[in-house]
Amino acid sequence: MAHTKQTLLERRYSLLGLLLIAPTVLVFCAVIVYPLISAIYLSLFSIYTPTLDGEWVGLQNYATLLAKGEFWYSLRTNLIWTVGTLSLQIVFGIGMALVLHQNIWFRSLARSLILFPYFISTVVAVLVWKWLFNDLYGILNHLMMGAGLIEFPIDYLGSMPNAMVSVILVGAWKYFPFVVIAVLARLQTIPGQLYEAARIDGAGPIARFFDVTLPQLREVLVVIVMLRAIWDFKEFDLIFLLTGGGPVTSTQTLPLLVYKEAFSLNQMGMATAYAVIMMLIMLVFMVLYIRRTRTEDGL
Amino acid sequence: MADVIFSDVQKRFGSFVAVQNLNLDIRQGEFVSLLGPSGCGKTTTLRMLAGLEFPTSGEIRIGERVVNDVAPGDRDIAMVFQSYALYPHMSVGQNIAYPLKKRRVPKAERARMVARTAEMLQLTALLDRKPKQLSGGQQQRVALGRALVRDPKVFLLDEPLSNLDAKLRGYMRAELVELHQRLGRTMVYVTHDQLEAMTMSDRIAIMEGGALQQFAPPQEVYRAPANRFVAGFIGTPGMNLIDGALARDGNTWRFEAPALQLEARGLGPDARPGEACLGIRPEALTLGSGALRGVVQLVEQTGHENIVVLRVGEDLRLTGRAPGHTIWKPGETIPFAIDADAAHYFAAGPAGARLNARRSGPHESGDAISITNNMREAHQ
Ligand SMILES: Nc1ncnc2c1ncn2[C@@H]1O[C@H](COP(=O)(O)OP(=O)(O)OP(=O)(O)O)[C@@H](O)[C@H]1O
Ligand SMILES: [Mg+2]
Repeated sequence: MAHTKQTLLERRYSLLGLLLIAPTVLVFCAVIVYPLISAIYLSLFSIYTPTLDGEWVGLQNYATLLAKGEFWYSLRTNLIWTVGTLSLQIVFGIGMALVLHQNIWFRSLARSLILFPYFISTVVAVLVWKWLFNDLYGILNHLMMGAGLIEFPIDYLGSMPNAMVSVILVGAWKYFPFVVIAVLARLQTIPGQLYEAARIDGAGPIARFFDVTLPQLREVLVVIVMLRAIWDFKEFDLIFLLTGGGPVTSTQTLPLLVYKEAFSLNQMGMATAYAVIMMLIMLVFMVLYIRRTRTEDGL
Repeated sequence: MADVIFSDVQKRFGSFVAVQNLNLDIRQGEFVSLLGPSGCGKTTTLRMLAGLEFPTSGEIRIGERVVNDVAPGDRDIAMVFQSYALYPHMSVGQNIAYPLKKRRVPKAERARMVARTAEMLQLTALLDRKPKQLSGGQQQRVALGRALVRDPKVFLLDEPLSNLDAKLRGYMRAELVELHQRLGRTMVYVTHDQLEAMTMSDRIAIMEGGALQQFAPPQEVYRAPANRFVAGFIGTPGMNLIDGALARDGNTWRFEAPALQLEARGLGPDARPGEACLGIRPEALTLGSGALRGVVQLVEQTGHENIVVLRVGEDLRLTGRAPGHTIWKPGETIPFAIDADAAHYFAAGPAGARLNARRSGPHESGDAISITNNMREAHQ
């Protein structure tokens, strides 16, 4: 008797469970699975964007893009941008978090100020940076010439490698606060006695950073790198607004290429094929990355 | 020979005095406990010795050297933390090897020393595990191993057993004592557990409110407490402390309290007529016979003996011990006697100084073992 009662209860529970997750599953399907599948579907057509008329071409789009030099060049640009800006974000982020973790008198003010670049809208930020960088009236050139560091104004955005360096730096400036906040939160949970034990064991400040702090930050860094890598890889507005992919195509990353295909060249099918390839690349990277960090943790 | 010396050490946090005018003189190879209630400054004292906290004034020496300005890593000390503070990402072996690595001990030698330490602490089978994968007692031993491996001059231990269960604590206590005997190193041990302090130490430094109250071997602390605070703090059940007055009649002194009069013997030169405090250990009360009368209030049976609380007169409570077979009931009036030779006298006030004459009478010498036995029973 008790047995059947229990299974009834169990069944009620699992029904309740289904009901509770159903809305999430439905929303997930509507906003993620459907667009994903329709993107893959669209990538099999040749579509003229304004009319959305198209004909079935099968894998032709993929064959074309993989054979195109522009794809590989943009992929390379994309990787340079992602690796460059991400490493700067991590280095500055950790550095700034360490500074803000100290007992300095302006700590709470600094902690709120540090979030400023992260809060500010990309459009506004890019506009300000473009003024700063401007080769005719930019304050950066003005100051550097005034200080005698340079003789002629530097073209920060219109020549290479300056444009790439500038984009990477602005990206790092905009997104390092995220790293600061995440790392700072973790730093505050590291037991102080670990540092004291290390001091007694004869570890100096640098050894304490590498032997106590960094290992404790490992897990949070894994997450930060993963999130930031995804976001940076598909970053569009910052680069688009700052250089528009130029000079010529020197800073044209894959998202910019997708935009160009879809709305300048009006090749929606081609554009979705790029987008699908981008997704696959990120997927491969993430799987490798998660594998690696997991085996390193391996207990 | 002195190994660790505190001279007039004071530590203030802002305006709060955590340790005041501390003078301690710890001999080489001695096992010294810092004992006292919570917040009395034990940890602060130990941390100053470790170099993790800087004295506001005064001087600390280790060996011949003044160490006030010496970094913790250069003081030739090792410390075991209450929370163990093992490096979580390192294996047991790496944890133990870490202080050697930071002192640039060559790799081969390091491996040899780690292996020897691990063997001594029975950690050999666990060398590849991470601290997370160890029990509390095992972590404790790893923390000890990390301290032992480099053979420092002084070991500092801050309540190292307080996270262990009662049985393991008893076991580790014995281990530590044995380790101390084997190594012959100076150990400074912080605890708020008087049983630990009494059973393990050569000398106990009892602190209260940041001030040192008494620094003496366990039996002396028990038999001749330096003041009323120590008298009340050491011993379970605690000493009966009775406020009253001393009166002098020619060459004889009397102690007088509303419910109790007693001939006061063995007073020293500091005794003055007037307010004073009488201290009587529970075992100095003889229950069941004698000229005094008391009403049984409470009987706590511990099996081997009964702890009996008597009411004497209006509101005087006295705690005594009686064999386990006694069958007094609350409300019963029973006779009792006080061993006047075993009475302690203190000046008035919460930290009133001891007034008894210094002597080595039958109650102030004797072996420490019987004391600790008494305490152990009371503890269980
Ligand atoms: N960093 C600090 N800042 C301010 N006050 C402190 C600090 N560290 C300790 N204190 C104070 O100093 C006093 C002594 O502290 P300490 O840690 O030495 O006590 P303790 O004897 O070890 O107590 P417990 O048995 O609870 O560990 C306490 O009143 C404590 O509040
Ligand atoms: Mg403490």
